[in-house]
Amino acid sequence: MISVRGLSKLYGSFTAVRSISFDVGAGEVLGLVGPNGAGKTTTLRCLAGIISPSGGEIVLAGHSLANDPIAAKRALAFIPDEPHLFEYLTVQEHLRFIARLYGVVDVEARMPGILRELELTEKAASLPGELSRGMRQKLAIACGLLHDPSVLILDEPLTGLDPGGMRRMRETIAARAASGAAVILSSHLLNLVEELCTKLLVVRRGEAAGYGTMDEIIAAHPDLAGKSLEDVFLSLTSETPAGM
Amino acid sequence: MNAFGYLIWTSWRNRFLGTLKRVRSPRYAIAAAVGVLYVWSFLFRPMGRVSPGATSFFFGHPTEMLITLLVVVTLMGSWIFGGDSTALAFSQAEVSILFSAPLSRRQLIMYKLSRSQIAVLINALVWVFILKRGGTAIPSPLRVIALWVLFSTLSFHRLGAALVRSAWTEHGGVGAKRHIASIVVFAAIGVMLLIGLFNGRHELAAAHTAGAFFTALGVVLSAAPAYWGLYPFHLVVAPTFAQSSAEWTRAIVPAIVITILHAWWVLHTDAAFEDAAIAASAARAQRVEAARGRRSVGTAAPRATKSTIALAAGGHPAVAILWKNMLCLRRTSQLRVFIAPLIMSIAIGWGVSSDALLGTAGTFAVGALVLAAALLLFGGRLLRNDLRHDMQHLPLIKSLPVSPHHIVLAEVASSALPLASVQTGLVLAAYAALSADPAAPFTPGIRLALAVASPFAVVALNGALSTIQNATAVLFPAWVRLGPQVSTGVEALGQNLLATVATLIALVLSLIVPIFVSAIAVFWLHETRAVAVALIVIISAGILAAETYAAMGYLGRALSRAEPLQTA
Repeated sequence: MISVRGLSKLYGSFTAVRSISFDVGAGEVLGLVGPNGAGKTTTLRCLAGIISPSGGEIVLAGHSLANDPIAAKRALAFIPDEPHLFEYLTVQEHLRFIARLYGVVDVEARMPGILRELELTEKAASLPGELSRGMRQKLAIACGLLHDPSVLILDEPLTGLDPGGMRRMRETIAARAASGAAVILSSHLLNLVEELCTKLLVVRRGEAAGYGTMDEIIAAHPDLAGKSLEDVFLSLTSETPAGM
Repeated sequence: MNAFGYLIWTSWRNRFLGTLKRVRSPRYAIAAAVGVLYVWSFLFRPMGRVSPGATSFFFGHPTEMLITLLVVVTLMGSWIFGGDSTALAFSQAEVSILFSAPLSRRQLIMYKLSRSQIAVLINALVWVFILKRGGTAIPSPLRVIALWVLFSTLSFHRLGAALVRSAWTEHGGVGAKRHIASIVVFAAIGVMLLIGLFNGRHELAAAHTAGAFFTALGVVLSAAPAYWGLYPFHLVVAPTFAQSSAEWTRAIVPAIVITILHAWWVLHTDAAFEDAAIAASAARAQRVEAARGRRSVGTAAPRATKSTIALAAGGHPAVAILWKNMLCLRRTSQLRVFIAPLIMSIAIGWGVSSDALLGTAGTFAVGALVLAAALLLFGGRLLRNDLRHDMQHLPLIKSLPVSPHHIVLAEVASSALPLASVQTGLVLAAYAALSADPAAPFTPGIRLALAVASPFAVVALNGALSTIQNATAVLFPAWVRLGPQVSTGVEALGQNLLATVATLIALVLSLIVPIFVSAIAVFWLHETRAVAVALIVIISAGILAAETYAAMGYLGRALSRAEPLQTA
C-alpha cells in the first residue's frame, strides 16, 4: 500500500532526509520514531504531497505520487500534529467540503456517526475558533477518516486529546489497520508505538537508523536484545553509536 | 536600549535580513530588480524642475481644507464603525510574554505606539515621493517629518478611538463615562462640522459644477463653526502643505504639539486596554495559529452564522474550493472597506453629470459606472478570499486530491466572480438608467451592445487582475501580506497605491494582444455598428481569458512546487 524508495529531501546544502526506503502493507502500522529534528515530519510531508522530494519514489495505494498525484492523494489521509482548519467553516461544513473533494456522496448519512464517534455532535455548527485544542484535533481526525482512506498518515495524533479521546483514537487506528488500511504513525509516545505498531522506522539525522519489526531490528543489533523499546530507541538515536 | 527598543529593533532587523536573503533565489532576485526599477521609475525618475512660483493641484488653501475634512471624516469612521482593530492587536507571543511580565499597561501601550512608528515612517517616505510628483518647494526631509507627524497623529487617534470604543463596549455606561471628555470633544467636532455645512448649504447648492462645488466647500469649511472643528486637524495637515521652509517651520511646532497631545490621550485611555487587546489578539490568533512563524496578519474574526450555502456531495472537486471561499467571503468580508469607493463614485458621478448636464438618471448611471470601474481597479485589493488567504493553509491545500491548475482556477474565480457579478449589475443598472435619459451618450444600439458584452469583459478583466494578485502570493509568499485582512488607514495608502499601479501595469501588458486584435477588427469593419462593437469586446475578452487561463497553468505548476517553509 505504501512503498518508498530512496526518499531524499534537501534544503539547499542541508539534507533533511537521506535515501530512506520502507514499505507498509495493508493492515500494517509503521511507527516512525526519532529525536526532534530527525526528519520525521519532512518524511511525512513528502508522503502527503505537501513538499516535493529531492529524490526517490513514493507509491501510495498503487499510484505514484509523482506521476499520478490526484489518485494517490485520493487514497490518503494525512492528519498533522497541528490541525489545519479553515477558520470560517463550521464543523459540518468542513466535512461537506472534504466529502466533495474526495467524492463521498453519502456524506449526510455518514456525518452523524462520525460526529458522534468523535464527540463533535453538539459542536456541528461551531467554527474552529469556538473549539478547544482537543476538539480541533478531533475535527481534523474526522476530516481525515471521512473518506475511508486506504493509506493513513498520522503525526502525533494524540496531541491535545483528553484521556478518553486518546483511548478512542488508539482504538480507531487499530480498527483502521484491521480493516486493511496501511498506517504510518509518528509519535514520541513510545508506549503508543509499542502498543499499535507492527514495525518500526527509526530515523536519526535524516537517515534510517533501524527498520523492521522489533525482532528484525534486534537481529541487526544483537547488543540490544532484551532491552525495552525506549532503550532501543535511545541507543539507535544517540550521537554515539551503540556499543562504543 | 530598553527591552522594548531591543525587541522592535531586532524584530525589524531580522525581518529585513530575512527578506533580503530571499533575493538569493533567482525568482526573488528578478522580482527585486523589477521592483527597484519600478520604484525608481515611479518615484525617483528625474522630473522637470519646479518653478519657484508654481504650485500643483495638491496645494492651496481650499485643497488643504478638503484634505483636513477627509482626515476628520476618516477618523469619524474609526469612532462610528469601530476603526481598525489591528490598532490593538498583539501577537500571541506578545500576549504570552509581555502581558505576564511585570510591565504597566502604559508601558505596553507605549510599546504599541512605538512599534507602529516603523510602518508610519515607511509610508511617510512613500508619500513624500508620490507628492513630489505634484511639485513642491520645500526639501524632502521636511516633508517626511510633516507626513510622519500627520500619520502618527492619525495612528494615535485610531488607537485612542479603539480604546474608548472598547471601554464603552466592555463596560457599557461606566466605560463611556470614564472617557466622556474624549467622546464629547469628538462629538463637538462633528456637530461643528454639520452646523458649518448646514449654514453653507445655499452656497453648496448653488455650485453647478464639480469644480465650483469643491471651491464652495473649501470656503464653507474655512468659516466658523466648521473651521473651529477642523482647526486641530488643520494644524496637523498644514506642514505637509507648506510652500516654503519658513512656512513649514511655523507650522510644524503646533502640529507636533497636537501629536504629543494625542499620544498623551492614548496613554491615559488605558482603562480597558488589556481586555480589548486580548480580545483583538485572540481573534488574530485564530488565523495566526495556522500560519505560525509568519508575520502578523489581520484581526477580523469570522462571524458565526446560522445560514450556509448548499454544496452537492458529487461533482467536480474544485467547486468545493470555490464554495469554501464564498463562505469565507460571506463571513470575513469587511463592508466598511467599500465605503470609500462608494463615496468616491457618488462624488465623481455627481461631478461628471453636473458638468455634462445629465439628469437624475444620468447621474445615477455615471455613479454606477464609476463604482464599477473603482471596483475593477481596487476591488481585488479589498476581496482577498483566494490564494492570498489560502497560502496560509498551504499544507492542507497541497494535500487535497485536486490538480494545482484547478486549485488556482477555483481560487481566482473566488474573488473575480463576486466582483464581476456586482460590476455587471452596476453596468446593467447604468444601461437601464441611461435608457430614460435623452442626453445619454452613444446610440441606443451601441449602448445595448456594450451592455450585452460587458459581462464577458468584466469576467475577463477581473480574472486577469485576480490572477496577477494571486500570482504574487504564490510566487513571493515571503514578501506579500497573506490573510483576509485589508490594510486600511491613510498610513497604508502609499503602499496600496504602489501595488495597485504595479498590478495595472501587468494588466496593461496582458491587454496588448486583445487590443491589437480589436484594432484590426475595427479597421476591418470600418464602422462602429452595434453588433461589431459587441463582437470586438467579446473577442477581446475571450483572448484575455485565454491568456489568463494559460497563466493559471503556470501558476499551478508554481503552486505544486511551493513549500510551507517558503511562506515563512
